Amino acid sequence: MKLLEYEAKNILRIGDISVPTSTLIKSTGDMVDLPTVLKSQVPVGGRGKLGGVVVVEDTAALNKAVDSLFNLDIKGYKPNTILAEEKLDIAAEHYVSLLVDRSSASIRLVAHKNGGIEVEDNSTEDFLNLPIDNTNVDDRADKLAAYLGYDVLLIKPLLVKLYSTFIKNDVLLLEINPLVYTKNGDLVCGDCKMELDDAAAFRHPDWNFEEKPSDANFVVLNKKGTIATIANGAGLAMATVDAVAARGMTPANFLDIGGGANTESVLKAFRKIVEFENIQAIVINIFAGITRCDEVARAIIAAKEQIDTLPPLFIRLAGTNFEEAVTLLEAQNIATLPTLEKCLSAAKEASRE
Amino acid sequence: MLAAGTNIVAGTSPNKAGQVINGVPVYATIADIQKDHTVDTTVIFVPAPFAKDAMLEAIAAKIPLIICITEGVPVHDMLVVKKQADAAGIVLIGPNCPGVLVPGINKLGIIPANMGTPGTIGIVSRSGTLTYEAAAGLTARSIGQKYIIGIGGDRIQGTDFVDCLELFENDPDITSIVLIGEIGGTSELKAADYIASHVSKPVFAYIAGHTAPKGVSLGHAGAILGSDDESAGIKTLALAKAGAYTYDSITQLIESVK
Repeated sequence: MKLLEYEAKNILRIGDISVPTSTLIKSTGDMVDLPTVLKSQVPVGGRGKLGGVVVVEDTAALNKAVDSLFNLDIKGYKPNTILAEEKLDIAAEHYVSLLVDRSSASIRLVAHKNGGIEVEDNSTEDFLNLPIDNTNVDDRADKLAAYLGYDVLLIKPLLVKLYSTFIKNDVLLLEINPLVYTKNGDLVCGDCKMELDDAAAFRHPDWNFEEKPSDANFVVLNKKGTIATIANGAGLAMATVDAVAARGMTPANFLDIGGGANTESVLKAFRKIVEFENIQAIVINIFAGITRCDEVARAIIAAKEQIDTLPPLFIRLAGTNFEEAVTLLEAQNIATLPTLEKCLSAAKEASRE
Repeated sequence: MLAAGTNIVAGTSPNKAGQVINGVPVYATIADIQKDHTVDTTVIFVPAPFAKDAMLEAIAAKIPLIICITEGVPVHDMLVVKKQADAAGIVLIGPNCPGVLVPGINKLGIIPANMGTPGTIGIVSRSGTLTYEAAAGLTARSIGQKYIIGIGGDRIQGTDFVDCLELFENDPDITSIVLIGEIGGTSELKAADYIASHVSKPVFAYIAGHTAPKGVSLGHAGAILGSDDESAGIKTLALAKAGAYTYDSITQLIESVK
């Protein structure tokens, strides 16, 4: 789960890591100390360039600025919360991050002297990039201090706390950009992007964050697409969509209905599909291992009854109990086809693409 | 698994120790089992919160092959488990995988046995149900398989493509290799490098997700580490350059495997 900036900074604060003093603004009229930096809390990057960060010096300008930010659409999102932070007296900005690197199956410390929004312009070779684990944090602190040019007494407590926070909170990515060195000689986390491991939620009952856009199971590919698809399993769902495109048709969506395909999930899928303007056919590709085809068939029949005009269904079921499923569907005049290829051919006929 | 010929000597469950289920005795711990039996493989189905402990118990018991079917194992848990498995020289497959099917011999996991038929193909795949699609499709063409290995879809996994390619290349019974990958991560790129330098047998590859929209990455870490483009297109190109036969859809791959 990707956290909003203020949610990430709350976690840093709990970890005794220095963040700017701040207030959360939930609606226009909330009071804040001035001068302040207002930051729109949206679940996407690049807000700075789109007006999502505003400095306010005087009271007269505050409410108007807050109101504008609540109404500012940034890449399709408007904020529920605005973070109002003290204005930092910035002497230097750096980049420091901890992340799980799947390629090396390790946690890595990545840093650069020049932080800020243009950090990607730096050449890859200049970055500090080291594996880090609980046996070498001290050594990494020495190296980070030397690399950034600071006293290790300043860097070490920060890195120790960042690492500890990373482990305690099942963090996948903890990016501080910029890590600000203030004119007072303090290191403060100017911005933080944090991603937590959803699989670890069971051991964090205190996790309570704003609802985030969920992108996993139903993805819109083309609002004008002609073929909708439903499959069980992410790989099979992607493969089904690829196969539709390879036959020269325009897939509208990706949908992984998962192992528990039931009436509710199928109905939800159909409801989303009929919202598209141009669907000519729905291809359903279910390969049942633990899932049972007859349960999927019942779900399709029940869901179909609840929707008035559903585009033609081209269903391929294989695996556990598939003969029973075919019988159930044929009794309702819903045809099934034995292979994905045949479904695609039939869908192509129906869609005249 | 029993029906498919797997020799299950025992099971473990803290609550059911002492029972016999489907003819298989249940013990409390692996150590208890090892007093009575030699164990060379374990298949783990325990729920995610307990999977790490189960895998660590198996590693401590020196079981040479561990297959973890469980979905949703926390990433940090897997970092710990993988480090220990690698240090102990133990082969770990998974987690979040359907396991291994050796058609006609053995089933270690949840791949339906009737999807496969004995033969000379080695299949390695990150997917679950897409693996079934591929295996069933080849079986329908009477192109049988020696191994069907689902390595799973998680960020941190015990066995990757390269490990399986090495196994298949060095097995004289295997004549062709089928590789099924997905968008995300760089394991298929590593596979391409390995194919170019170490694999002489024909490789038939399909990467799912050609039509997937490019993910919006969070922060800059991905771009900095150079791993930002993990698309089906890039991986397919790399595999083709390495000498693999590549396809844009699973149906094309199934039709083309020899």
